[in-house]
Amino acid sequence: MQKNVLLELKSEKVLTNLKDSVRTDGRKLDEYRKISIEKGIYQNAEGSAKVTLGDTEVIAGVKLLPGKPYPDSPNEGTISVGTELIPLASPFFESGPPSTDSIELSRVVDRGIRESKAVDFKKLCITEGELVFIGFVDIYAINFDGNLFDASAIAAIAALDQAKIPKIEDEKTVKDEFSGKLKLERKPILSTFAKIGNFLVLDPDLLEETAMQARFSVATTEDNFVSAFQKGLPGSIKKEDVDSAIDTAFKAAKEIRKML
Amino acid sequence: MKKIVVPGELITEQRKKMGEHVYSFNGKIYSDVIGITDNESAFASVVPLKGCYIPKYGDIVIGLVVTELFSGFLVDIGSFSLCFMSKEGIREPLKRGSVVSVRVSKVNELNEADLSEPRVFYGGEIYSISPVKVPRIIGKNGSMLEVLRRGTNTNFIVGRNGRVWAKGGNIQLLFKAIKKIEEESHLPNLTNKMSEFLLKEKK
Amino acid sequence: MTKEEKKVYVNKKGLRLDGRKIDELRPLTIKAGVLKNAKGSCYLTWGQNKVLVSVQGPREVLPKHHSDPLKAIVKFNYRMAAFSVPDRKNPKPGRRDIEISKVCGEALEKAIMLEKFPNTQIEVWAQVLDSNAGSRVAVLTAASVALADAGIPMKDLVTAVAVGRAGGKIILDLNKEEEDAPDAVDMPIALMTSAKEIVLLQMDGLFSKTEWDEAYELAAKALEQIKEKQVQALKEQFLQESMETETKEKIKAEVQ
Repeated sequence: MQKNVLLELKSEKVLTNLKDSVRTDGRKLDEYRKISIEKGIYQNAEGSAKVTLGDTEVIAGVKLLPGKPYPDSPNEGTISVGTELIPLASPFFESGPPSTDSIELSRVVDRGIRESKAVDFKKLCITEGELVFIGFVDIYAINFDGNLFDASAIAAIAALDQAKIPKIEDEKTVKDEFSGKLKLERKPILSTFAKIGNFLVLDPDLLEETAMQARFSVATTEDNFVSAFQKGLPGSIKKEDVDSAIDTAFKAAKEIRKML
Repeated sequence: MKKIVVPGELITEQRKKMGEHVYSFNGKIYSDVIGITDNESAFASVVPLKGCYIPKYGDIVIGLVVTELFSGFLVDIGSFSLCFMSKEGIREPLKRGSVVSVRVSKVNELNEADLSEPRVFYGGEIYSISPVKVPRIIGKNGSMLEVLRRGTNTNFIVGRNGRVWAKGGNIQLLFKAIKKIEEESHLPNLTNKMSEFLLKEKK
Repeated sequence: MTKEEKKVYVNKKGLRLDGRKIDELRPLTIKAGVLKNAKGSCYLTWGQNKVLVSVQGPREVLPKHHSDPLKAIVKFNYRMAAFSVPDRKNPKPGRRDIEISKVCGEALEKAIMLEKFPNTQIEVWAQVLDSNAGSRVAVLTAASVALADAGIPMKDLVTAVAVGRAGGKIILDLNKEEEDAPDAVDMPIALMTSAKEIVLLQMDGLFSKTEWDEAYELAAKALEQIKEKQVQALKEQFLQESMETETKEKIKAEVQ
């Protein structure tokens, strides 16, 4: 990602503001920006969703395609998450092959769904050992104003949550006919924090992301499990930071889950 | 007493003046590099055992001319980037591959150096060692240089950047001796040991 | 599947499938300064994992516009040899390799005094030669030794270990079999141990908060052991055969 000198200059203010216990946009330390979730907006996708988080806007679409299962799990389908940080979303994104940032983003979202067992892969099986569904979740950033991690993860879950399973005939999908709905076992919500100085703030916007030394994401589920950690960027965090992040994440995720 | 420390190892909990390659954290002083520290010294500092050459103002280094530009030359001194040397006042015909000893006349905050006062060497051989070992090759007040010069009868110059240029006399013996110094640079009594070594090798 | 569920990951005596205790590491050996051409290098074996790490630089950044005029940048390259996994691995770096390179590089950036080398890059080349779960923590542990071996100023060594859960028990340093347990949780964590700063933390699976506390304590204790090995590896280089026995013993005493 390119750097912007103006943003860097402005971001110096973020820490001074935090020391007076105010965030630049007036939020509390553990407060999300305004979230809105729209579901089922694209007809060609089996499931789709648009998530806005303040000025950050992300869309996700799910396609379920029949394919061959992995030999070590013949009765399980799988999912694959891809994210695209296209120049449409921000002057800081470059075209070309996926950047390391977007690869990390898609892998964190991917693991968040996979490892929390949000989707029961056995239910994606069509005929054991021969045909299973492979779910492709493709996420596009539309407008970038910080915290793509949470926006993308919510969008992916929202899109999967209302995805329809296509009807299969002769190992091919039948157009516009569906055999049922994909059921989510869990709805993990990712909550991302920025460490700025000694402060830990939830849902950093672009300015706060420019100022942060470290980024820390926690995924939580409704049955009181922590389902993923991911620490990024060169800064460090402490054990206490992780503890307080987990507590905040549980609270915040409850609110978001209601909106799904 | 001298001891070997690694990055992040505690040097002292006392308040001391801080020398090179140390940093303080919560009132204690730690090493930031692998090296040797002397806890009897008034300064808390570490002499690194490994490392690269960072140009300093006034250093004499041995460089190799890489290309000629319109107004000067680009010289490789084993630093992070090639260094510029102005043509002003240079009479010797320099070309790619010329070996020169030069003075670092300017260093900016990016560790980029400008060079001046070249002395061209013709013939001879170059040997490279780790730049952090150069002080041991020189010894206290040049004592080690003297031992090496007498022991091998060569004419040689040691650059701060770890390059040694030598000509005449027993060059092979010189390089062998320098290699030995490099390997044992963290041990005491090196000067005496080297005079013995050179005497033995001569026979 | 049913067969796997019957596996007892920790038996009544508190021993694991490979006979280790819950808080026992696989055998770990570290050797610094193994490659002649590199500024710094390290060979590390950790159970079946074998990794080789070399450090080049600081040197000029290419392409030039990637350089930072205020500090050095770290380029971490995690690569797995084609024969390092049970199937053949496509040698082309995949998404996993790129992500690991990114998080490991960022973990090291906190430790290295980057501001001393503006406009340069420090390259870390990590090659996994053989693997059996936990290769990223092996690589990161080796990389910080290689960086110190290159004489690059650092605030502290970075030490990494994986903790997790298999069969309902929190265990240290999972092997592949344990990582494949149905309830497995894998949590690689790296600390700068003296200030207890977490520089790498990832986790996949379902963990309760108390399990996270337990896992952290287990990791923190193990990291002290691993750090000791790192320090020993760095100092060992200077205990050579050619030394007189007297000085050798003296330095040995200091190391201990």
